Amino acid sequence: MTNGVPYETAWQNYQTGSSDPVQFDDSSKESLLKQFHPDYQTNTTTTLQIGANQGDVCQRQLAQVLQSNSLIDEVDLAGASIVDTDVLIIGGGGAGCAAALVATENDARVILTTKLRLGDCNTVMAEGGLQASVGVDDTPQQHFEDTLRAGYFKADRKLVSQMVMDGPDVVRWLIQLGMQFDQESEDPFASLSLKRAGGTSAPRILSFRDYTGLEMMRVLREAVTYRPGIEVWRSKPVVELLSNEFGHCAGAAVYDMRHRKLMLVRAHAVILATGGIGRMHLNAFPTSNHFGATGDGLVLAYRLGAKLRELDSFQYHPTGVSYPRHLAGSLVSEAARSAGATLLNGLGERFVDELQPRDVVAASIIRECEEGRGIDWDGQVGVWLDTPRLEQQRPGILQRFGSLRHLAHKCGHDPAEKPFLVYPTLHYQNGGVVIQRNGSTSVPGLFCAGEVTGGIHGRNRLMGNALLEIMSFGWRAGVAAAGLRHNAPHRRLTIEHVHKWQRELTLAGLPLDNHGPQLYPDYANFNLRAHIAGEI
Amino acid sequence: MDHEPITIDVEGRSVTASPGRSIIEAVWEAGHVHVQGVGCLGGVCGSCRAIIRRADSTEVKMVLACETLIEAGMQVTFVPFLERLSDHPYQIDSFKDTWQLVSQVNQTFPEAAHCRHCGGCDSACPKGIKVERGVNLAVEGQLGAAGDIFETCIMCNLCSHICPEFIDPNHLGLLVRRVVPSLVVRPFNLMQRLNQLERGELYFDYEAPEASTEERD
Amino acid sequence: MTNQLNQVLLHENNQVGSNLEAWLANGGGEGLQNALAAPEAIIKTIEDSNLRGMGGAGFPTYRKWQFVLAEKDAEVKYLICNGNEDEPGTFKDRLLLEKTPNQIIEGALITALATGVNHLILYINPHEEKAVEAARQAVAQWEAHPLFASVADSLGRPLTLRVFLSSGLYIGGEETAAISSVEGGFPFPKKKPPYPAQHGVHGQPTLINNVETLAHVTHIVKHGAEWYRNLGVGQASGTKIYSLSGDVLHPGVYELPMGTSLRDLVFEYGGGMLAGKEFKAVFTGGPSNTILTSEDLDVALDWDSVQERRSRLGTGAMIVISEGTGIVKRVTEYVDFFADSSCGQCPPCKIGTRQISKVLRKIDTGRGRRAELDHLVNLGKLLPGSGRCALVDGAVTVLNSSLDKFKSEYEAHLIDR
Repeated sequence: MTNGVPYETAWQNYQTGSSDPVQFDDSSKESLLKQFHPDYQTNTTTTLQIGANQGDVCQRQLAQVLQSNSLIDEVDLAGASIVDTDVLIIGGGGAGCAAALVATENDARVILTTKLRLGDCNTVMAEGGLQASVGVDDTPQQHFEDTLRAGYFKADRKLVSQMVMDGPDVVRWLIQLGMQFDQESEDPFASLSLKRAGGTSAPRILSFRDYTGLEMMRVLREAVTYRPGIEVWRSKPVVELLSNEFGHCAGAAVYDMRHRKLMLVRAHAVILATGGIGRMHLNAFPTSNHFGATGDGLVLAYRLGAKLRELDSFQYHPTGVSYPRHLAGSLVSEAARSAGATLLNGLGERFVDELQPRDVVAASIIRECEEGRGIDWDGQVGVWLDTPRLEQQRPGILQRFGSLRHLAHKCGHDPAEKPFLVYPTLHYQNGGVVIQRNGSTSVPGLFCAGEVTGGIHGRNRLMGNALLEIMSFGWRAGVAAAGLRHNAPHRRLTIEHVHKWQRELTLAGLPLDNHGPQLYPDYANFNLRAHIAGEI
Repeated sequence: MDHEPITIDVEGRSVTASPGRSIIEAVWEAGHVHVQGVGCLGGVCGSCRAIIRRADSTEVKMVLACETLIEAGMQVTFVPFLERLSDHPYQIDSFKDTWQLVSQVNQTFPEAAHCRHCGGCDSACPKGIKVERGVNLAVEGQLGAAGDIFETCIMCNLCSHICPEFIDPNHLGLLVRRVVPSLVVRPFNLMQRLNQLERGELYFDYEAPEASTEERD
Repeated sequence: MTNQLNQVLLHENNQVGSNLEAWLANGGGEGLQNALAAPEAIIKTIEDSNLRGMGGAGFPTYRKWQFVLAEKDAEVKYLICNGNEDEPGTFKDRLLLEKTPNQIIEGALITALATGVNHLILYINPHEEKAVEAARQAVAQWEAHPLFASVADSLGRPLTLRVFLSSGLYIGGEETAAISSVEGGFPFPKKKPPYPAQHGVHGQPTLINNVETLAHVTHIVKHGAEWYRNLGVGQASGTKIYSLSGDVLHPGVYELPMGTSLRDLVFEYGGGMLAGKEFKAVFTGGPSNTILTSEDLDVALDWDSVQERRSRLGTGAMIVISEGTGIVKRVTEYVDFFADSSCGQCPPCKIGTRQISKVLRKIDTGRGRRAELDHLVNLGKLLPGSGRCALVDGAVTVLNSSLDKFKSEYEAHLIDR
């Protein structure tokens, strides 16, 4: 990133303003993406050399962790206690909770382990809402088609069709669990309020205020906490999956942060619900994701032999906060642009139709900054998101955006007086582990649900489909995993697959001192070895 | 802007970092391991709450460490995820009889009636929720009004940790919020769609023209 | 030496229970007669006696009285006779109330004459049922006695005397919390200022004295200040009731000359250390003060001498521990007590004390590291003064003192020692 227009100059330009109507050149959308969107940069991708996706294109940093060596050796498992359960769920977000609840409804004993706390996840931060076709003018078919189109027709139709058909049932289930949705009136029988997401054919977004994810997650968390048959483990990251003599998934090696020791969980089925990769800060981008989104599930699944897909496709949300630095990456909701807020560069000019798809808007912002028209504010570069002019044009509108005002307050400004400095922020992993309709993967005994999976969104996700996906596939995986509870117990709990993996690493000339999964972001200075040894 | 490094005291460790860093960033920048008690890093999960005292100040404040910037001489201690001191387990589907709702809520949270009105929950709440009022309304049986008070609760559990009567206010608040949809809310459009699905009226066409990829691929 | 035991308050002649006749027959009532004869002289006598508050603070009694006396315009003034006593290691007030309620009531009446208070409230911990019962019986007898009417006449205002059951919570012993309690609410400490002397119960001037303090008043006004001063050892005045507990052979309540040495209390009166163990430390004045160690055995147990060792005499509680007892465990228990007692109003107090307790427990149960020890030091610096009352300060004081004196014992528990 080159330096942009210094803040003071940019601020003057902003105040002077250029009221000229701007013509955008839309013909070159593809070349814009090719030139500026991080996914399309040749230096950001590489080819996987080993594993089930050998030969596939993959984002460079992701490839590095996918092709990493295990964090543990067999000797580390000596003396580790073994805990038995029917279903082991890894991840304490929305998908993990849904899976846990459904698995116990199907008579399975569940251990849900999370490296942070139950509910420390991206679900809780979802502002927008959940898509489910319940409108009179809407059908699951339309939802299906909208989803496919948004994902450039790269999604798996089986998965999408099942998910959209699950939608209304998911909503019923959530309401029965005690989740509130906005309705058209106070009447308990009033229809659910529906909002239209960009790129959809009908209003289909169900929400609760502008913190739907928080409402969903607090209900799920409470339900899981109090549900007999679910044991919740916190501060216990999974460091490796375990395999039996056939290479099937047989459980996981879990690190107990509190007691600094490894323990083994033997399970008939394992469900990975580890979420996304934002905290890997791919291509040095800030992220809107929570602290734990380090892509552990992808690494664990890949090492055990699971097939992945769309490893070079990520969603960069155009309007992440750029200044102040400590809030970089925090999301300014798309609702601001939907309502008419414009984007301005350091010269005070508009440079894109703000209602284009996210990838196009993000690429345009990157273009402005790379070509020196961004604003440099104490080393943080971005463009203006012009909330003051929006407020001037539609007085009182900012009152409707509670989360936006809260964020502005934290940034230290009044959104009606000063614009946000924004820059694209790494938001979502479009691809992930290949799954079947019941959440099963190419490895027997291993299931996946939520952002860790691929195939549902193709190469671009529709707003509101993430919250639906985690519920729909959380359920499906929970049911299927519980179905394995009568199998004979695994006789062997090994990390044989790691030995096989190390052979491949060596033969491919890949480094063995590159360990993964990451567990926590680099900058948090965690090191498993040092932690076990009590050095940190 | 002054670029001299700033030193603070975090749980007895001297932490030196650049100005403009949040407490959490400063700990990381100084090379310390800090992986528990960090969550969304966006001020909505409540993981990173801390108690601070600024230099030369007698005031001791509770803050979120992800959004509080360091100042020279600041003393910090993180408030870890404390084990719950009381527990009020329930299954939402055990609430069946709406005539018994209020008494069942009170039986589930018996301590709520003992509120001593200390206001500690109110001053602890990072979201400015009138927690005590919510508890009192729930005890009176005004479940809807009580639930509305807890609408923006992030379940950080601070009020539960501070409550000297072990009321678990935020969990009571969540219960009164949950019982309403669980027992009462039956939205028309959703019911209609579910009926259609049940009767098999909605079929699915994988090969519909709109779902076609041909012209795009 | 044992002839110095129980000379005044706990003298066997005074231990007549609630029986007012017996009290008066054994020389009771003389102090009150003296006071009735010259009410305006009382405060001077108390000043000359060097009497200080026995509830823990050690504030000169006459000055407290002067503040209340100065509120001349108030029609109504309150005296709370504080017998809430709920601190670990302190168990003297309950005994005084049970065995000698009359000298406390007489002291309260003298106080009324000195300061103009006209509503006297015996504020007693309801868990001490015998004390409550004795006080109630004594009150009934006093109310019917002509002396009571004489005091009312002298005051020229209606005089009331009643037993009020406190909440039984530790926090209720704090002055402003006692006021909240008497007003009918939960015993929440209040912000100072305004001070109770100006704005106490229902906004009226209010005096709060510990029941032991009031018992001393009775005898001072009866025998004179000089007599009282001479009871003490050296510069110290009067007597003090020490609550001796912990690893000693004879735990119990000992009234001794103020200024008796710690060594004498423990080894002469207390019968020495339990099971022949070495003396290790004493939690002076209860669990909220600086700990004294074997180096301090010769300290005279009076206000100033103990303060010179940077500790406080407090309520006179002496919790003795031997080499066989763990400091970390003990401090953990006391901090737990404070955490449980914290009323909830001030988040840093409630959460801070819990936090100290959690870190201490981690160390005590062998799961602590150097980082935990550093964390305790940090908490000890961060938390003081963060509550509207001194509860959190008490927890921090005992923590800091234990870290100061017994750091090596903490370190011995660490994993990475």
